[in-house]
Amino acid sequence: MVLDYLPLLILFIIAAGFAAIAIILPTVLGPRNPNKMKQEPIESGMIPFMQAWRRFPVQYYMVAMLFIIFDIEVIFFYPWAVVLGKLKLFGLIEMAIFLGILLIGYFYVWRKGAFEWQ
Amino acid sequence: MEILIISIIKSLALIVILLTGFAYLTYYERKLLARFHVRLGPNRAGPRGLLQPIADAVKAIFKEEIVPDHVDKPVYLLAPALALIPALVAFAVIPVAPAMTLFGRTIDFAVADINVALLYVVAITSVGTYGVILGGWSSNNNYSLLGALRTASQMISYELPLGILLAAIVLSTNIGREMGTLSLHEIVLQDRPWWLWLWLWLAFPVFFIGVLAESNRSPFDLPETENELIAGFQIEYGGIKFALFFMAEYIHMITGSALMATLFFGGWRGPFVVPGTWHGALIGFGWLFIKILALLFLFIWVRASVPRVRYDQLLHFCWKFLTPLSIAYLVITAVIVVFAG
Amino acid sequence: MTDDITTMEAPALPYADAVPGAVVGADEFGIIVNRDKLVEFALYLRNNEGFDYLSSLTAVDYLGFEGRTAEDRFEVVYHLFDTKKGGDGVVLKVRLPEDDPQLPSLIMVYPGADLQEREVYDFYGIRFNGHPRLRRIFLWEGFDGHPMRKDWKEAYYEAEHKPFKSRWPNGHYHWAEDRVPWGDNVKYPQGWDPNAFEPAPPPLPTIHDIPGEEIKTDRVIVNMGPQHPSTHGVFRMIVALDGETVVGLEPECGYLHRNHEKIGERNTWLGNIPFTDRLDYLSSMSNNFGYVLAVEQLMGEKGKPPERAEYLRVIMAELTRIANHMWSIGFLLNDLGAFFTPALYTIQEREMILDLFEEASGSRMMCNYMRFGGVRRDVDEDWLNRCRDLVHNRIPAKIDELDEYLTNNEILLARTKGVGYLSAEDAIALSVCGPMLRASGVPYDLRRSRPYSIYDRFEFDVVTDDGCDVYARYRVRMEEMRQSVRILKQALDDIPEGPVFKGKPGYVTRVAKGEAYGAVEGPKGELGFYVVSDGTDNPWRYHIRAPSYINLNALAPMCIGYKVADSVVILGAIDIVLGETDR
Repeated sequence: MVLDYLPLLILFIIAAGFAAIAIILPTVLGPRNPNKMKQEPIESGMIPFMQAWRRFPVQYYMVAMLFIIFDIEVIFFYPWAVVLGKLKLFGLIEMAIFLGILLIGYFYVWRKGAFEWQ
Repeated sequence: MEILIISIIKSLALIVILLTGFAYLTYYERKLLARFHVRLGPNRAGPRGLLQPIADAVKAIFKEEIVPDHVDKPVYLLAPALALIPALVAFAVIPVAPAMTLFGRTIDFAVADINVALLYVVAITSVGTYGVILGGWSSNNNYSLLGALRTASQMISYELPLGILLAAIVLSTNIGREMGTLSLHEIVLQDRPWWLWLWLWLAFPVFFIGVLAESNRSPFDLPETENELIAGFQIEYGGIKFALFFMAEYIHMITGSALMATLFFGGWRGPFVVPGTWHGALIGFGWLFIKILALLFLFIWVRASVPRVRYDQLLHFCWKFLTPLSIAYLVITAVIVVFAG
Repeated sequence: MTDDITTMEAPALPYADAVPGAVVGADEFGIIVNRDKLVEFALYLRNNEGFDYLSSLTAVDYLGFEGRTAEDRFEVVYHLFDTKKGGDGVVLKVRLPEDDPQLPSLIMVYPGADLQEREVYDFYGIRFNGHPRLRRIFLWEGFDGHPMRKDWKEAYYEAEHKPFKSRWPNGHYHWAEDRVPWGDNVKYPQGWDPNAFEPAPPPLPTIHDIPGEEIKTDRVIVNMGPQHPSTHGVFRMIVALDGETVVGLEPECGYLHRNHEKIGERNTWLGNIPFTDRLDYLSSMSNNFGYVLAVEQLMGEKGKPPERAEYLRVIMAELTRIANHMWSIGFLLNDLGAFFTPALYTIQEREMILDLFEEASGSRMMCNYMRFGGVRRDVDEDWLNRCRDLVHNRIPAKIDELDEYLTNNEILLARTKGVGYLSAEDAIALSVCGPMLRASGVPYDLRRSRPYSIYDRFEFDVVTDDGCDVYARYRVRMEEMRQSVRILKQALDDIPEGPVFKGKPGYVTRVAKGEAYGAVEGPKGELGFYVVSDGTDNPWRYHIRAPSYINLNALAPMCIGYKVADSVVILGAIDIVLGETDR
């Protein structure tokens, strides 16, 4: 069972090796003559007004939070989906209850305007 | 030990195929776009410009290595790798041809045949988002940060309808079988009645839109919109590091197409495929290849045809349209499975 | 024509008793206004006489001009028009002494004076009191002097010596660029060290608050441009962002500035015609047209072109309009994110128009086709037939094709409807012109309201749209192409035989003393040329009322509150060409 995942581990190692080589190789092959202008951040050819590492708007967090709420629920669908053929009506009703709770949350969030990008 | 050697051979083969596929996908895209634009497209390097991807690769490798002063160096260097590795690894569970028997040995044309393959693909492709987000953040550039933030919200948002639709497809595997499955091998082999094919194809447009958004393709290429953010999260990357991001995006496209071909169009299945024989494997691979090419053509066609949506419209579309739609699809599929299956 | 300034008897002065003490005189070109009463008088003209549109605002330096003294060295000239009634406008002039060049700003009466007053300040050093952002706009902050003043000499070209004398001292040429530390052709103030110079901090945009916002987030201030793929050249917007929303925007231009007007004063009258091509390099025929119209006014009867030339001019100008609108629609779609396909589809027909231009004038884009009193070359019957084919078949088909693919496209509608709202009142107040103004529902088209050339003979509609948004601007451009086709069909049917040029061609044009303002409805809007002649071979003043520059007045008001992606589209719908904006 666990042996099934061994090829994936090997593939991962080889892929990582390829990525590492790809990043290291040009440092050896390519020219390198840095200067002050080259090291500046690119902002349409002007010197930036401010650093980018600062607080950014809350809307992006909101989307991420919504995602976490709903996507974790979605994960519960998978095992249920696999065995629904056996559970038949019992599974259907059970999932209807689960989905109902999820949808209440969904419409609450909708009504609250969390899907609106301000 | 034997499994180790076979795995290494298969992994190397997969990576070589994916990288070649990426290289010629860029050529395919440029040529097609050129035809859409009434232009010629690349035609200088080699016959019909066929060596263009190789020329591009050589150029990228010999480019000057610029690491700006203001970046978070370790993260900055790690990000392209983080974007690329999941892209390469995700393909591993997709069966590219029927298994065949050669010298008394059964050869399986996928790196791994695991029973949670579908979950694996979803999980691994989500990890690819990290590369994009970290690349944008570590660049310490206003444009790339904005691009990274957009990526974060966009990619995770579209994962929702995509995930729900995948669950619906898993549901549909219950039909005609004792139990559902998450294994792509078994999904390909499943004998679907004709009405199930039609029902699945109904979901294909929504799924395709989701994959477009997940792979940052036009009209959802907001993380790297040329017109506002210049190049978005990859603005501070050059040379091979830029190429790695580029690779990740295109390999995601290939993986996405292969996944769609497997789920909706029967993967390697097609006329003249006799499983278990060497020519069966070859023709099966040919069918999958044609299906992937056709789906990639769709990607490029869309890119050449439609303008881009705005960021807020993109999220509204996902949360207010695609998500309810896919939930409804899931519910109906469940009902079908229970009463018809 | 003479330039004798006849200060008439007080009762004969126009609008003399409107604002007591405002009108102090008049010459045959305009009303001379006392600067202390300027704002009141302008308010009166706007509110009571209907002159609601400040078209052109510029200044002239009369240093050493015959009959002028240090007391009235500078003259600020305002061209006001009536958008409702049309017709000739009124010209206001304010004379300023050499030692005290300042006057009140008109920005409260005509907000559209904003950019033009800054331009005058930059070039002449005339201060407009009450202007909130009176900074240099084209030249950089460290620039020494004001270049359009007659006593300012351009390094190298206008030095005390003639250029060729200083170019080869002792027989060895010496580039002026090598003499200054940065290798630039610039002149620094005395005792000023360019390496120690700290430029003034860049202007920060005024940040607007979002109504109803409870939590304040950090504003990000980002440069968009000059090196940006969708600012249509080296244009710069300093954008304050709240997440994705634009809360402040400051346009900055001048990166392509070459002091066109100063060079225009050095050129001969004729030498400026090819030079106008370089303004809006996409529609050089219209630029030629505006300039020759202005100068022909000064030439009087001698400058009246023959019939065939008039028709050729109209044909060329309308073909230019079609070519320009095709390009601008294509690029609007590009700004929306369509990957070049619409742009490349539209330029197929544009290429054919350029082929016709090439055959008629010798060049595809820098046409240099019109002359004072005619056009450069005649076209043959074959040319006309091919033009007819284009106008009757290909162009209408292409317009219909674009209409079919684009006008009802879902994403296009979602992206452009309601974006970049500009009401009719604001559009007029901000001196917006051309398709932008008409897309706000103002039927103001120079071809109708102040007909020039032979436009009064043709049947066409002034296209308007009440949408006031980017979509309306797109629709207006689309429809204007159809109207241009209508005009072209009539012109190609009616074109008479005959000469295309009056008099004999020569390098030197004799122009009478005086001044003139000639304007055409260019593809981008009202393209005006204000020329002053002192009777010599060179213009005394050569000013361009550049539509793509003045339309930028509306950029910041239109962008505030929309998303950053919209600001790109709004800029694209203004349709600027940096060659004309920066001059």
